[in-house]
Amino acid sequence: MSNGSSPKFALEMENIKKNFGPVVALSDADLRIAEGTIHGLIGQNGAGKSTLMKILSGYYPDGTYEGQIKVDGNVVKLKSPRDAQACGIAIVPQEITVSDTLTVAENILLSEFAKKPRKFYFKLQANKDIDFFLKENGIPLQADQLVANLTLPQKQILMIANALYMQPKVLVLDEPTSSLTNDEIETLFQIVRNLKRLGYTTVFITHKIIEITELCDYVTILRDGKIVYSVDRDNFDGSKLINEMIGRKLGDLYPVRSEINTHAEIVLSVRDLIVENPRKPGEKMLDAISFDLRGGEILGIGGLVGSGRSEILKALYRENLVLSGDVRVGDNKEYGKTIPEAISSGLYYITEDRKIEGLLFNMNVRGNITASVLKGLSKNGFLAKKAEKLMAKEITESLSVKPNNIEAMIGNLSGGNQQKVLIGKSLLARPLIFMLDEPTKGVDIASKAEIYRLIHDLAAQGAGVILVSSEFPEMLALCHRILVIANGKYQGEMPGDLSKEHELMVMASGGN
Amino acid sequence: MKTLPKLKLSPLIKRLIFVLAIFGIFVLLKPSFASYDSVLAIVQGIVFVGISSVFLTLLITAGEFDISIGATSCLAAIVTGLLVTNQHMNLWLAILIGLFTGAIVGAINAVVVLYGNVPSFIASISMLFIARSVATYFSQAEAIENFPGLWHGFKESWIGQYFSIIVLIVLIIVGEIILNHTNFGKVVASIGSNKEAARIAGVNVIKTKFLLFIMCGVGAALSGVVAVIHFSSARNTLGSGWELYAIAGLVIGGTSLFGGRGTVIGLFIGLMLMQTIASGLVVANIDPWWQTVITGVIVLVSLGVDKKRKKIFVNEE
Repeated sequence: MSNGSSPKFALEMENIKKNFGPVVALSDADLRIAEGTIHGLIGQNGAGKSTLMKILSGYYPDGTYEGQIKVDGNVVKLKSPRDAQACGIAIVPQEITVSDTLTVAENILLSEFAKKPRKFYFKLQANKDIDFFLKENGIPLQADQLVANLTLPQKQILMIANALYMQPKVLVLDEPTSSLTNDEIETLFQIVRNLKRLGYTTVFITHKIIEITELCDYVTILRDGKIVYSVDRDNFDGSKLINEMIGRKLGDLYPVRSEINTHAEIVLSVRDLIVENPRKPGEKMLDAISFDLRGGEILGIGGLVGSGRSEILKALYRENLVLSGDVRVGDNKEYGKTIPEAISSGLYYITEDRKIEGLLFNMNVRGNITASVLKGLSKNGFLAKKAEKLMAKEITESLSVKPNNIEAMIGNLSGGNQQKVLIGKSLLARPLIFMLDEPTKGVDIASKAEIYRLIHDLAAQGAGVILVSSEFPEMLALCHRILVIANGKYQGEMPGDLSKEHELMVMASGGN
Repeated sequence: MKTLPKLKLSPLIKRLIFVLAIFGIFVLLKPSFASYDSVLAIVQGIVFVGISSVFLTLLITAGEFDISIGATSCLAAIVTGLLVTNQHMNLWLAILIGLFTGAIVGAINAVVVLYGNVPSFIASISMLFIARSVATYFSQAEAIENFPGLWHGFKESWIGQYFSIIVLIVLIIVGEIILNHTNFGKVVASIGSNKEAARIAGVNVIKTKFLLFIMCGVGAALSGVVAVIHFSSARNTLGSGWELYAIAGLVIGGTSLFGGRGTVIGLFIGLMLMQTIASGLVVANIDPWWQTVITGVIVLVSLGVDKKRKKIFVNEE
């Protein structure tokens, strides 16, 4: 920052300290956000970002932490989310939190409804007002759309519209890009830049350094509950930012790819596969696709969210319907039409949605790992507890799941460790073919590196791996080759080469 | 060739047509069914359960339940009845106290659910037993009789004859306006749809639900009070089973039992449907034992009428 006149701060959080029992979540965290800027806030999971944001949102009320908060230079005491909102702080949470049964307009107006519950609600007038508001702010939604019919990214954008409608002094976006495609991220950036032009102040929380360097005027890095680094745009240095964020030299994020053995046997052969669009029963998701997967190979399926990449995996796993085509596993075998038959033939799908489809959140790590093999662990209908524990322990140790406690509830693990448990669970089925869908979604960098290593090891031990990811660099680094799909068609094949990110992006967007 | 644009009917209109169709079938079977008297009898058959479940619709839309409405109605009827016939209390004061009883029952439900973290289904089942037992104790299981009219000559007046139906219609209109045409109603739906989203928008979820529990209790009590005025008597069996009819009526009418979407008019249509069948079967001389069977089947069938029936059971998509 310049030594001249000090900038006016829209938001200051001073000497914030917060403990949970003996655990120190934040110690002396200072955050100053200059008015009219886009301020990046980065840090790994567990660095204290979400604690800081919960304090700012009034979720942890004033008095449960030390330190003070100033908005526009005035000290404010935030005792509830309503207080925070009244002070001009609008937080867009990372999880999609919208009311599905209401319309877009009703969602946006909800804060208004809460303030004036006794007023009549006139639907047509509300739709007219909100359509105007959406147009004015360049938000591509319609007021009368039912939110249940919106896509995930549209819901994300709706949440930003919700916050905007409150005319906030400070708009906080908590990892808004985690479920967006590159195009949608660009739309989001345009919205944020437009807000800056209108004089809004934005705090942008993210994992991704590239988003900081592209969008933000300042960046503050949080690590282990402390502010470790703060710098303005002119002094951004990508690798310095990464090192400060993870607190050590990154080393090689990606493992060295092993050479593929061109004589290895083909473990999966797909011919003219046409999969059903799960949202339009009977219609195809994309044109026919054919490919072979060899043992030891990591094959990427590249495409944007909604391109059909997940549907291909789910169809192979028999979760989605196959309309036509021929699929053989291992030694030219066909397999049945149900998921158990797919599993016993050696296929395993590791879902992108670990929260809903993947893990049992009311159970501990042990129960999650062994859930699918309980039959094998039972004697005369009773569970052999010792064997179960042993098995769970073996898996958690070999994958270095943290905490190293098989009785820990799965919900208390970080995203990265949950993902490891999910992969660990799949190992017990001893698949020939692993299909991983967004294995690093919502996972911090250190865990990503471990998951990359794991994927690499699976292939090195002879399994075939199919990888789907929105993070193109990791696809390019891990995969031997990538099949690209866009616009409902197979576009072509690309070698895994980190320098080809731009080409992959263009191809996956359906460009030439 | 161009296809004609499909006629789009709102779900409520579809349901209404369904009720009329059922009515029509019975008219074909027995032309005398199409009379003012039999329609009046149908409405009279649902009037008390209807009054007691208008505000239940709001509560369910907010994602909570109250199974105790019938028992609460009964308790309020007994309390008001005893105060007037035994204690000779001023009629209007007794009615106020009866309604207040409902408010207390609602408040207790609210405290247990919202502060005791007991699922509302469980809490209100307990309340169902408790309220009915208290009513039985107060009345010593004896019927209360000779409850007077609201004023001299009330029973003979036009208002007196249609009193309960007037209350029902007013309540339905008020309830529907509150639920779907006020900001408060949208807040209620947002709580049932996604509590967290409502909280972020600044909605005080606890306070709103507390209010809804009390409204539900008062609504149920109102039904009991209207019943004791209508019949001039009350028993400790008043209102038993209403909760099941209310829930069936809500489901048929298109209210989501998981919250987020509700309609009071739909509730009315749902109750009318069940009662039309019940009355129609009697008129058509079908063994009354079949009534409940057919009612059960109709609940299932009417779910099939709505193409988006999934939405009733699944909150998302």
